Formats: sequence, structure tokens, C-alpha cells
Amino acid sequence: MSASRILRVPNRIEELAGVSEAVETLGREEAWAPDVSYGVVLALEELATNVVRHGGEEEGASEIEIEVVSTDEEVRVEVRDKGKPFDPFREAPAPNIDAALEDRKIGGLGVHIVKALMDEAFYRREGGRNHVTMVKRRS
Amino acid sequence: MNVQAEHHDEVLLAKVEGRVDSSNSQDFERQLQGAIGEDVKAVVIDLGQLAYISSAGLRVVLLVAKTLGQRNVSISLCALSDPVQSVFEISGFNRIIQIYDTQADALAAAGK
Repeated sequence: MSASRILRVPNRIEELAGVSEAVETLGREEAWAPDVSYGVVLALEELATNVVRHGGEEEGASEIEIEVVSTDEEVRVEVRDKGKPFDPFREAPAPNIDAALEDRKIGGLGVHIVKALMDEAFYRREGGRNHVTMVKRRS
Repeated sequence: MNVQAEHHDEVLLAKVEGRVDSSNSQDFERQLQGAIGEDVKAVVIDLGQLAYISSAGLRVVLLVAKTLGQRNVSISLCALSDPVQSVFEISGFNRIIQIYDTQADALAAAGK
């Protein structure tokens, strides 16, 4: 079984709940395990939120394109945006997850969660857009 | 998403339902802060009905835990589903906030 979807949404936080719903629906149709569905939806929210908040484009003025490809072996998600060049896997500062409560910094967990949940995650700049790709294996 | 507060003597139990993501995390913060209020000795947050949380929600939990820590109010979480538990573990929150399997365990520990 395989299926794919391309979603295009304005770069606004309020649009992202609809993206999550669409991806969950695809996951049900393609019989993803619950942890695969949770991980893919979560990783996608983290990356898309970063694009909206830190992409350098005025909110609502640009577009985020998301492609999800589901096969029997894996789920592959690509997030594309026209924001400033930014490789989240190299340039986002790592959070100190071993710090004591009073020393823990607020925020900065999104990319860390993506790396931990996904089997592969990589970045390329192509055609004036950021392309962030994530792969979650289904077994 | 919805937060309901229950008072168990001096322990405040906040029950969170639904999804917490980047689109409603500010509302989550308002509801959670509102539920906790001023006059409590301990706070237990029951996440048994929390279907989904992303880093936007974790940010709120950390913020609340830090604030309570400064006030010497204890905080614990309970009844996390497996996916929610794994997000808390990935983020290292299980090392800075006490997590109990059940609400009863959390309330018993908080009431001591």
C-alpha cells in the first residue's frame, strides 16, 4: 500500500492544526501504528512551527508546502518553505536536557524532539527554498 | 483542550484533556495558571486524557514547574499515555519533574 499527499498552507500557526488532522487521517487510511502517527504529526508540527516563527517571512504572507509519502516500509515527510536558508539539524542550538529544573532554559526542544523521534532527518536548500526531510520507518 | 481543577485538601489536582499544540499553548498556559491559583501546597497535573502534546505544551509545563519551584510548591505529573511519556522522556522532563503512573499514587505522595 502506498499513498501521498501534498498540503499547501499559509505560514500561520493557526493553519497547522488542519495539517495535523490531514496527516492523522492519512495515517488511519494507511494503517500507521499509533507511535508512527504520533511521531510524524509531532515532528511535522515542530518543523512547521519553526518555519512560521523563525523563517523570517511575515506571518500569513508566505506558503509552506508539505509532502507526505507513505509506503509499507516508511513514512517520508518533506517541509518546503521560502524563508531564509536555515538547516535546523545543524544550526538550531541543542537544549541542555540534563540541567536541573531551575537551570533549564525555556524552549528550544522542537528540533531535539524531531531528531529523537525520526529515523532520518536531513536538510537541503534547492530552488530558493528550504527542504527539510524526515523519515520514520514503520517497523 | 481543557483544564479542570479539583481541590484535594491542600493539593490542587489539574486534569488536562485533549490536545496541546502550538496553536493553543497560550490558552493552555492561561487555563493551567488559572487552575493553580495562589493558595496551594502541592500541584498534581493529571495527563491521563491528554491525547497529544508538542514542545509548545512542554514549554508551558516547564514554565509552571519553574514558577512553582520558586514558590516551594511541589509539582508532579501522572497517568501519561505511552506516546506522551516518551515525549517527556526525550525532553529530559522525567528527570526534573516527578512522574507517577496513577493519579492515586501522585495524590498520596503530594499529600504527605
